Amino acid sequence: MATLRPVALAKSRTITLAEPWASLAPGRGLRRGTTVLVHAQPGLGGLSVALSLLSDASSQGHWSAVVGVDDPGVVAMSDLGVDLRRVLFVPRPRSAWAEAAADLLDGVDLLIVRPPSRAAYGAARKLMNRVRERGTILIALTEPSAPWPLPVDLSFHLTSSRWIMSSRLDARYVTLRVGGRGEAAHRGEHVVIVPDTRGRAVAR
Amino acid sequence: MERLLALWAEPLSQERSDGSTLRDYLRVLEVVGELCPFVEPIRLGLCTLPLRGPSRFFGGDEAVLAAVRQSVRDLLDLGVCLGVAEGLFCAELAARHEVVVAVGETTVFRRSQPLSALGHKELTTTGRRLGLYTVGDFADLDGARVAERFSATVRVLHRVARGELAELPGQRDIRLAARLRSARGEDVVRNEQMGFFGQRSAGDDRAQAAAHRVRHRLGLESVLVARLSAGRVPEDRSSLAPWGSPSRDLLDDAPWPGRLAGPTPMISLRHPVVLEVRDATGASVRMGARGSLSATPTTLILVHSPPRTIVWFAGPWPLVERWWASGRRRAHVQVLLDSGEAMLLCAEAGRWWLVGVYD
Repeated sequence: MATLRPVALAKSRTITLAEPWASLAPGRGLRRGTTVLVHAQPGLGGLSVALSLLSDASSQGHWSAVVGVDDPGVVAMSDLGVDLRRVLFVPRPRSAWAEAAADLLDGVDLLIVRPPSRAAYGAARKLMNRVRERGTILIALTEPSAPWPLPVDLSFHLTSSRWIMSSRLDARYVTLRVGGRGEAAHRGEHVVIVPDTRGRAVAR
Repeated sequence: MERLLALWAEPLSQERSDGSTLRDYLRVLEVVGELCPFVEPIRLGLCTLPLRGPSRFFGGDEAVLAAVRQSVRDLLDLGVCLGVAEGLFCAELAARHEVVVAVGETTVFRRSQPLSALGHKELTTTGRRLGLYTVGDFADLDGARVAERFSATVRVLHRVARGELAELPGQRDIRLAARLRSARGEDVVRNEQMGFFGQRSAGDDRAQAAAHRVRHRLGLESVLVARLSAGRVPEDRSSLAPWGSPSRDLLDDAPWPGRLAGPTPMISLRHPVVLEVRDATGASVRMGARGSLSATPTTLILVHSPPRTIVWFAGPWPLVERWWASGRRRAHVQVLLDSGEAMLLCAEAGRWWLVGVYD
C-alpha cells in the first residue's frame, strides 16, 4: 500500500489529478469549494468517470464519500485506483440524499452524489453553498432525465461511448465535452479510455 | 431490509471469568462461517447471517437452519435458538421465539410483539398507561406526538417499531470486534474499526464523525465500507459491510487463479436480479451441461421493462466450485446492448441473473 500523507495536503486549495484528467481540468486538479458535474446516459460510463476523478484524491490520503450509488462495484473501484480504506458509501439514501450529503461534507474532502431523482433547485443550491463554505469538492453524477438544476464550475458531458471487444469486453472509449465557468469554459471534446483492459482510466 | 438468520445461544451471552465464553463464541462463529462466509458477530451469544445466498444453495431456509443447528451441536453440544426475519431487531426476536418469519410477514411479526420487546422499561410502563401493549400500537402513534412526549431514545425506538430502522440502539456490541480480534491473536491496532491505520489523523476523525451523523439520520446500516477478498468473480470478491461492523477478509486483494479477466463492472449488484435471455426465435437461451449456450442470445428482458437488444456477447465462462456441501455451477456471460450499455450476466440453476453493469 502507498504511504498515507493526509495532513500535509489537507490545506492545499486544489486536489491534483493524474492523467488522463489533469490535462482536462483547469489547474490540473479539482479546486476545493467547487462543484463538478458528470452528466451521462445511465450505463454508458458516467459512474466510471466520476469514480475515476475520486481515485487520485483517495490515493493522496483524502477521504471521500459516495452517496446514492446503490451497488458500487468495489473491485472495479479498486482497479481504478481508489483507495477503499478511505471511502464511505451511503447507498439508497432515497429522499434524504441531500441531507446525507450535507452531513458528509464536513467530514470528507470529496463527495460523489448521484441524486435518485431530479435534484430540486433549492437543495442543489444549498449543497453547493455548503461545499463552497467547507472547501469540499462535490461531484454530481446526473443523467438526462434528471439534470443538475444549476450551472457548475466544471462539467463533463459524456457524449458517446464505444466498447472495444476481443473475446471479451476489453476497453471503452468515452467522449467527453468539458466545460464550466471561467477557465473551464469551452474546453472542447476529449476521448478518455475508461476502463482499459486493466480497469484503469487512461488517455487515448 | 435484509432477511437474516439469527443465532441466539443464551449460555454464551454471559461472560464467565475464565474467558471461555468468548472462546466458545468465536468457535461458533468459525463453524457457522464455514457454512456462510458472511456471518456477522452482533454481541456475545448472538450472530446473524444473510439468508438469501445460503438458502439458494442449500435448497431452502429449513435446510440452512438444519445445517447451522447441526454444525453448532457437533461443535459444542450446545442447543441454540435459530430464527429468521428481516432486519436485526426482528431477527433476534425470531431467534428467541425460534420462528422462521416468512418473506413479507416481518411487519406483522414485529407489530405483534409486546412493547417490552423494545427493551425500554420506561416506555413499557408509560405505554401500558396509554393503552399501548404491542410494538404495533406504539408504531401507530403519530411521530410528532412521540417527539413531544418522549426522549430522543424513544424516538429512535419509534422508528424501529415502524420498521424504518433495522436494529435497536445498543443491540450490537461495538467493542466485540476488537475483542474477537485480540482473542484470535490478530493485530488490534492495524485492523481498528474503519481506520486500518497505524496512526489516526485529524482527517480520519472528521470522517468518523461524519459517518456517525449520517448513521444517526438514516439508520445503523446506512453507511457502508468496502472490503475485497479473494475470489474469481467480482460478486464474490467484493462486499460492503455496515461501517463499524467487524471485518473479516480486509482488502485481501491477492491474485486468484481463474479470475475473470478484463475490466470489472462498476455496478456490482448485491442482490442479483433475475432476467430472461432469448434467442432470435424468442426461445429462452439455456446453459448446456458442457458450458455452452443453446443459442445466440439476442434479447434481454428485465422485469418491468421493455425488451433490450443484445448486439454482442462473450463467454460463457463456466465456474464449477465446491461451494459448501453442494457443487455450485455458474457461468458468466458479457453482453453489449444496442444502447451501448454492457452488462455481466450469470447463469445458475437454470436461470439468468444480472450481476453487474459496466457503467
